[in-house]
Amino acid sequence: MSAARDYPPPPDLISGRVAWVFGDDFDIDLVIGVENIKSYDAEFLRGKVMQAYDPTFADRVRPGDVIVGGRNFGYGHPHYPPMVALRDLGIAAVLAESFSPGFWRGETYNGMPLLAVPGISTAVTTGDAVSVDWRTAAVTLADGSPLHGTPPSDRVVRVIEAGGSLKLLLAEHSRV
Amino acid sequence: MGSTITEKILARAAGEDTVKAGDNLPARPDHMIAYDFPGYTDVMFRQMHDDFGIRTLSDPERYVIFIDHMLTKGNEKEQEVHQVTRDWCEFYGIELHEARGIGHQVMAELGYALPGTFLIHFDGHISGAGAFGALGWGVRRDLLEAWVSGQIFLDVPATTRFELDGEFAPGVDSRDLIHRIIADHGADGCAHQVMEYAGPGARAMSIDRRQGLCGMAMFTGAVSAVFEPDDTALAYARKVARKEFTPLLPDADAEYAAVHHYDLSTITPQVVLPGSARSANTRAAADLNGTPVTKAFIGSCASGRIEDIRAAALVLDGRTVAPGVELNVVPTSDAVHRQAEDEGLLDVLRRAGAQIARSSCDFCFGYQKPLQPDENCISTGVLNISGRMGSTEANIYMGSAFTVAASAVAGTITAAEEVSRS
Repeated sequence: MSAARDYPPPPDLISGRVAWVFGDDFDIDLVIGVENIKSYDAEFLRGKVMQAYDPTFADRVRPGDVIVGGRNFGYGHPHYPPMVALRDLGIAAVLAESFSPGFWRGETYNGMPLLAVPGISTAVTTGDAVSVDWRTAAVTLADGSPLHGTPPSDRVVRVIEAGGSLKLLLAEHSRV
Repeated sequence: MGSTITEKILARAAGEDTVKAGDNLPARPDHMIAYDFPGYTDVMFRQMHDDFGIRTLSDPERYVIFIDHMLTKGNEKEQEVHQVTRDWCEFYGIELHEARGIGHQVMAELGYALPGTFLIHFDGHISGAGAFGALGWGVRRDLLEAWVSGQIFLDVPATTRFELDGEFAPGVDSRDLIHRIIADHGADGCAHQVMEYAGPGARAMSIDRRQGLCGMAMFTGAVSAVFEPDDTALAYARKVARKEFTPLLPDADAEYAAVHHYDLSTITPQVVLPGSARSANTRAAADLNGTPVTKAFIGSCASGRIEDIRAAALVLDGRTVAPGVELNVVPTSDAVHRQAEDEGLLDVLRRAGAQIARSSCDFCFGYQKPLQPDENCISTGVLNISGRMGSTEANIYMGSAFTVAASAVAGTITAAEEVSRS
């Protein structure tokens, strides 16, 4: 918690590629391996991220890429370093059929756009170009066809625009 | 259209006449609870003081801190962690409850979990407060929002209602029920919802069983769980209440996302395979007969209450823990420990070879006596992910206190009914 990164808010339109497609009930800790879930060291995390899935992942991901999940993405006992590892590489959003509540709340606090987009996990494959208007949860696929998700609440939009809940709360409530 | 318990509690907390599932609004928790843990409370207190410039609290009685983790090594690191917490609590005038047991239990004993109240914590097992008709919601880092602003923005959750009939068969309890529910409806069967328990089976269930059941709600994807407060819950609450409360019941025409029926007499012992509590990992205990265990653990915020210790004593009376197996029993609180001692239960357990430890959270998260590689543990703990209780190469199976005690006697995974027949 203490060593979380400071990431800028996403652009209005996130454009990139699908960096990976995960299945249902995906445990985010597996992104770096359960034995590594306490580290916030950037170089260490870069060496571990997605090694079990694709050893070239860290080299091929570009800022603006997104990851895609199935149902109940983030299930388990989510720790923060796996998403730090992904965001360090430039992963700009997670699109999933649905999210596990604990993961959703923890990463929304961190200002990460998490969009529930029914149909996304079967509509794309790794490498597909995709663009995302995160405020409206409108996704445009490589062939130009649209997919519509559930837009975030007004409050969550403000959290993401601020670059995370802490920054929004500071703007609203700081007496310093 | 009427309201669920959750809608009524959140309407009250939001200062509205009514709220509906799907509304996004700020609600004001009755209590904002945390346990001290490095990287959590120390950071939050520092942020509140240094970054937000908050030097005094207008309502310190709404903040509650427990010291229930990191109590068993007695080293300097523990003392440093806890001293930071003591200093902050003194600075802000926050009530600190130190080493009295697991906070999710002690909060009930001290009258924080009252019918109709809204409690938050960074830890999701606060949902155990639902046993008393309170809404306990684990909000992770958003606890800071409530600490600095007094309120928290929430999506009002939909509710799935569970109508319970009958009573548990001997050797079966609410731990088996929650894993049966997950197996039937999936690890996201109640995603982003609240589970509302009602019916004759709910009313016949003891408070301890209700706490264990509600405390595990997150593994169905639910944000919380709540029982209709009945005479049993009200009697408990009136005895311990630290403030006035108003019990809230659902309206007859409340709108539910789903309604499920369970006859408790049909529930059988369940065991969860190592990895997670997901539905594909749930097995009938009988299907795992023969799986060897070296460690057995009864405790955590989901077990270790007096009913769980009575269950263990029932199984262990006149028997002994199998050679090569270590059974550790950790009462959920000091009060439970005293009661178990007074009832003679701990003597029964000791005679059987069990080791009794002082109440804390330390076994459940691998801090006290961590599991070694390749060990198999059968546990009433809340979580069986890799590395949770020690080595990432140890295997954690989960079941009820009946099943854990029976397995400790047999040396292999065994339901209590098997032991009682031998």
